[in-house]
Amino acid sequence: MDYPDLTQRLDRAFNPKTVAVVGDKRAMGYMWLHSMKAFAGKLYSVQIDPAEIPGIEALDVPNYAAVSEIPDDIDYVLCAVPRPVAARIVADCAKKKVGAVALFTSGFAETETEEGIEAQQQVTDIARENDLLLIGPNCMGIYNRRLGVRHSPDQESGDAGNVGFISQSGTHCINFSLIGATHGIKCSKTVSFGNAVLLDAPDYIDYLAQDAETDVIAIYIEGTKDGPRLLRSLKAAAARKPVVVWRGGTSTAGSRAVYSHTASLAAAPDIWSAAMRQAGVIETEDLDETIDAVKALVYCKPASGKRMGLVAMTGGQSVVITDAFEREGMEVPLLMPASYEKLASFFNIIGGSYRNPLDAGGTIGMGFVPGNLKKLFEILDEDENVDAIAMEVSGTFIARRLRANPEMMDGLLDLLSEQRERSAKPFLAITHPSHIEDVMAGMRRKLLDRGVAAFTSFHAAARALARTTAYWARRDGA
Amino acid sequence: MAPLMVTLSEAIERARSEDRSVLTEIESKQVLAAAGIPVAEATLAASADDAAKAAAKAGFPVVLKIVSPDVTHKSDVGGVKIGLEDEAAVRTAYDDIIAAVSDRQPKARIEGVAVQAMARPGTEVIVGMSKDPQFGPVLMFGLGGIFVEVLKDVSFRIVPLEERDAREMIDEIKGRAVLDGVRGGEPADIGALASLLLQLSAFAEANPQVEELDLNPVFAYKDGCLAVDARIVVSAES
Repeated sequence: MDYPDLTQRLDRAFNPKTVAVVGDKRAMGYMWLHSMKAFAGKLYSVQIDPAEIPGIEALDVPNYAAVSEIPDDIDYVLCAVPRPVAARIVADCAKKKVGAVALFTSGFAETETEEGIEAQQQVTDIARENDLLLIGPNCMGIYNRRLGVRHSPDQESGDAGNVGFISQSGTHCINFSLIGATHGIKCSKTVSFGNAVLLDAPDYIDYLAQDAETDVIAIYIEGTKDGPRLLRSLKAAAARKPVVVWRGGTSTAGSRAVYSHTASLAAAPDIWSAAMRQAGVIETEDLDETIDAVKALVYCKPASGKRMGLVAMTGGQSVVITDAFEREGMEVPLLMPASYEKLASFFNIIGGSYRNPLDAGGTIGMGFVPGNLKKLFEILDEDENVDAIAMEVSGTFIARRLRANPEMMDGLLDLLSEQRERSAKPFLAITHPSHIEDVMAGMRRKLLDRGVAAFTSFHAAARALARTTAYWARRDGA
Repeated sequence: MAPLMVTLSEAIERARSEDRSVLTEIESKQVLAAAGIPVAEATLAASADDAAKAAAKAGFPVVLKIVSPDVTHKSDVGGVKIGLEDEAAVRTAYDDIIAAVSDRQPKARIEGVAVQAMARPGTEVIVGMSKDPQFGPVLMFGLGGIFVEVLKDVSFRIVPLEERDAREMIDEIKGRAVLDGVRGGEPADIGALASLLLQLSAFAEANPQVEELDLNPVFAYKDGCLAVDARIVVSAES
């Protein structure tokens, strides 16, 4: 539906000063109130069941019998009541003129039952007639990290993020923020939009496209009621900031008989991918790919081209890292003659080589010889044949020498983060889980904390860089 | 003889009155030509004499193709004769086609035969439009022949297309190098193919009654391109 002043109204809902949770209960562990305890503004509860009220009051949240009885303007309502009560709450929210209501309540059209479809129509009609912003139903609503409006007590809060996530699924919405956080991705605002009866994906895309806090938008979507509108919104958003679209499920085209060659060849997944290319967004297939692409967008400077300078610790890894990047359409060129002259003066070629990839274990020993690693980086930085630099941070080497030597580990971290800051070229560290998975996870975390893009595999790094490089090239290029 | 030029709405009206949704080759080409799309002109001939006259006018060699709302795969029923060099050959071909189609598809309504000058051969491509339940009209581009039949090497874009979309969908096909010219063949005029895609995008946008469309093949030359065969499918009801 066309809401007037939608941007301003979504701004109010996404940045609330007051939040009301309706229908939280012990059986859910008061999950909504616990989640919203981090909220920086004023939090209210609405619950009429006398058995539930002591538990709510124990959380120190003021409780009222109706939204309309709260003596304060309400910017955002999360409604978790059972389906039979939902329409009454929505009507009360309309009466109160709240900023928006998100219906966590489920059992609507997604059940494909007559009662569900009818109940959905009822809440939709009430919201539409009263010009009430309705998110969902069957959704988790809004997460604002900075303000502590959350879906889960495990979500981070208090500081600002810069990645927006828009999700048809509540699970993927929460997982993106939780698992993304372990990959150094901080969300600005996310929304799980569920059945999308009034507000649909394009509304949220348009909003986050103009949101100054959001630098990157990622989306989980299973289909659309209005393809051309989705395409227009994605295209406009991608012209302003990177957009990553992860699509779940495959839509089934109608069984209408087709007469033309063209119609018989037009399979739904191909059409979807074509639309994504046309919109200029990055298309992904699962959560891992989505997180990797977002990570590259947040942590890597845009590459000016596809040519890699690669550093690995052994011959075998040099071969495999090269394969991974070439397979994703990146190039691993010869370096400039001046670089080879410099390398020849200090590179240890016993058990190593420096054509590109640089098989540098013997030369730099993962930072045991920090001067040499720094020299390698400087050479790759200055080399005009190199657009981006990726380095294997080897679990084997760490296990052998660095693990027992924390200062040396810190020295390596310093070197890599200095490289990231100094160089205009994107820098990617690859921290395979290796046999010391916990150590490597810690290493990856420390690198990300220092702003270094750390990936769990050559393939993941190569794919993410190839996709983001293509995005920047298309947006800023021809 | 059919009217010289037929508008899309006239063609649709006629098709619906005959309870069909597929426009004939001649109707399809007339409608597309009116929209400025480069098609190999074809003339309907309802007798061997008409065919000979039309051939002389079009210039030899010519190709003859059956015109019937009931025949979708013309060559499968003996409905196509190519490389006809003179009027005598055209008369014989006309009779042969009518006989073959009547024999193999006795219930087919036969309007006559389309007479068209043999197009200069070029790189064969296929261009088409179909409708996606989510995105609406979608254009398809691919190389003709086995590339499309066996390898399904095609690309898609949603209508409306911009110049960049047209260029990207051409560049996206795996066999893209074929358009640069192989084995001494001339390179294809990419600009002309992109223009054709943009014209079709505008045509699809302006004519929502068109459900499907095939230009198969289109001959791509080093200067321009030409749709040699065309088929338009319209919605059954308005």
